[in-house]
Amino acid sequence: MRAANLKRVTTEAKLLLIGIPVLLWTMLPIYHLFLFAISPKESAFAGKLWPDHPTLHNFGVVFREQHYYLSHFWLQLWNSLIIALATGALTLLVATAAAFAISRLKVKGGRTVMNLALFTYFIPAAFLAVPMYKTMGTYGLLNSQWSLILAMVTIAAPYSIWVLKQASDKLPYELDEAARMDGASPLQLFRLVYVPLMTPSLVAIGTYALLLAWNEYLYAFLLLSKDTQITLSVALGNFLAADDSPWELLMTTGLIYAAPPAAIYYAFKRYMVGGLTVGAVKG
Amino acid sequence: MASVSFRDVEKTFGSAKVIHGIGFDIQDGEFMVLVGPSGCGKSTLLRMLAGLEDISAGTVAIDGKVVNDVDSKDRDIAMVFQSYALYPHMTVADNMGFSLKVRKAPRAVIEERVAKAAKILNLDAFLARYPRELSGGQRQRVAMGRAIVRDPKVFLFDEPLSNLDAKLRVAMRGEIKALHQRLRTTVVYVTHDQIEAMTMADRIVVMQNGRVEQIGAPLDLYDHPVNLFVAQFIGSPAMNVVNGTLRRAAGTACVEVAGGVRWPVGQCAGTEGQLLTYGVRPEHIALGKGEDNGVSGEVVLVEPMGAETELLVRVGQLDTVVKTHGRPRVVPGDRVSMSVDLAYVHLFDQASGRRLA
Repeated sequence: MRAANLKRVTTEAKLLLIGIPVLLWTMLPIYHLFLFAISPKESAFAGKLWPDHPTLHNFGVVFREQHYYLSHFWLQLWNSLIIALATGALTLLVATAAAFAISRLKVKGGRTVMNLALFTYFIPAAFLAVPMYKTMGTYGLLNSQWSLILAMVTIAAPYSIWVLKQASDKLPYELDEAARMDGASPLQLFRLVYVPLMTPSLVAIGTYALLLAWNEYLYAFLLLSKDTQITLSVALGNFLAADDSPWELLMTTGLIYAAPPAAIYYAFKRYMVGGLTVGAVKG
Repeated sequence: MASVSFRDVEKTFGSAKVIHGIGFDIQDGEFMVLVGPSGCGKSTLLRMLAGLEDISAGTVAIDGKVVNDVDSKDRDIAMVFQSYALYPHMTVADNMGFSLKVRKAPRAVIEERVAKAAKILNLDAFLARYPRELSGGQRQRVAMGRAIVRDPKVFLFDEPLSNLDAKLRVAMRGEIKALHQRLRTTVVYVTHDQIEAMTMADRIVVMQNGRVEQIGAPLDLYDHPVNLFVAQFIGSPAMNVVNGTLRRAAGTACVEVAGGVRWPVGQCAGTEGQLLTYGVRPEHIALGKGEDNGVSGEVVLVEPMGAETELLVRVGQLDTVVKTHGRPRVVPGDRVSMSVDLAYVHLFDQASGRRLA
């Protein structure tokens, strides 16, 4: 009894020894963000753990667009939202249909197509930025937000197809046979049987694509130019252009920008783990 | 009329031929069972009838109409799968009404047909439940209900009782049989369990390695198997078989086995010295002295079942299973004499396995 307890305590202690530093390491930058956000401009760099005069004034400045760099704050936030939602929806559409075709309809060459798509991940997204710019130019999309949406869908799709295919493979094939015998056309099968059963994975993939687009900087920076078009992540980058960058406003905007993804992720956390690992182990 | 005919049906997967030229008919309203060991092709044949597998050669006809190129949903058949294949995200009522829903039938019709099927199967109380809330037997009934709602010409069952425990299997066997008697629809039923075949079928098709071994009524197959395979496959416990040579002497005949044991034979057409396989079912061997029809051996095992007792008796080099009524007072180690009912001796040619005329 005693030996077992001692073993349990030492195991706990070891885990805490690793866990606490990791937690601090992760939370420190976020705390730093928060600290700057609630500090007045003068004492932001004071180096204190908690500001002497915590204030919400910075949030007010941001929300009322009272600084030059924040003059299109709400519009840019809206752009981020639209682009993220569109990316999520479009990726879901493409990946769900592709996974259905490859996994359930078993079209010839389906696996090859999926592997080819995954192969694109061999090339880092940064390398593809310039060719992507050129391509969007060819299509005349450079002044439109669609260029970013389509670029993000291209990046998110292969992984999404792969995850959804793995999840589809877990559905017993007899369901399709039963539905076929009941008289369902492939489209009815897709709508009435496949999509409802795939919901957890679809939520996970939709969230993944949405967050990918929300956090994107490089492609947004390259493909969008007008101040009224860019996403908030790019606008944040512009803060660093000048010598007298208002750090506390930067941190405040950053904190605001980080809130929606955190909320979405928290709301769907149950689906995120399950939905992404469902095909991982043969059950 | 909903008859089914197979003509020279063949199936090839890649370069492997798994069904070789099968042809037989199923009458309207008949309960036909396809039985055989794993891998014999019975499920493949059923799936070809269902339209879930392509037919490599030959024709399959339902009600006189060739359906080789007809889609599953247009063949007017319904299938009950081994793993039920219920839609997990739909209630029992939605599961049963699914086929009508995809054909855009009016809601009133769907509800009426579902209610009727539920009544037949005693599922009224479960209509709002989900499959995950049901037991195995209930799920199987929902699968049958889904098929009944279709009101098809032919019911197909693909080993539906394999996933159930023994007691439930016996109960469901009776239910399926009762359902057939009530609905009188043609049924094609696949199983590897010969007991299911014997108890439920109007006729049985015994298959092995993609070929039909014998077709007939259950008792026909039991009493007159055309070859050794059918003889040993049908009947539980299995028929006792032993290889030997036919010997005739003074008006009687027997099959002599290596080691000198002589198994008695009644009238038979074989020639002296012919190599045969001798078969006799456990219930046709009786304990006790029978003058000319006797073999003797040592009791190895006694298995009392209550009303009957199964004995394992070593006769020469063969472990013979004997089934007797009641509880004979024997223990392992006893020497017993047994007599064979000559009317029920089966002789098969040793080389081909075919029954002797």
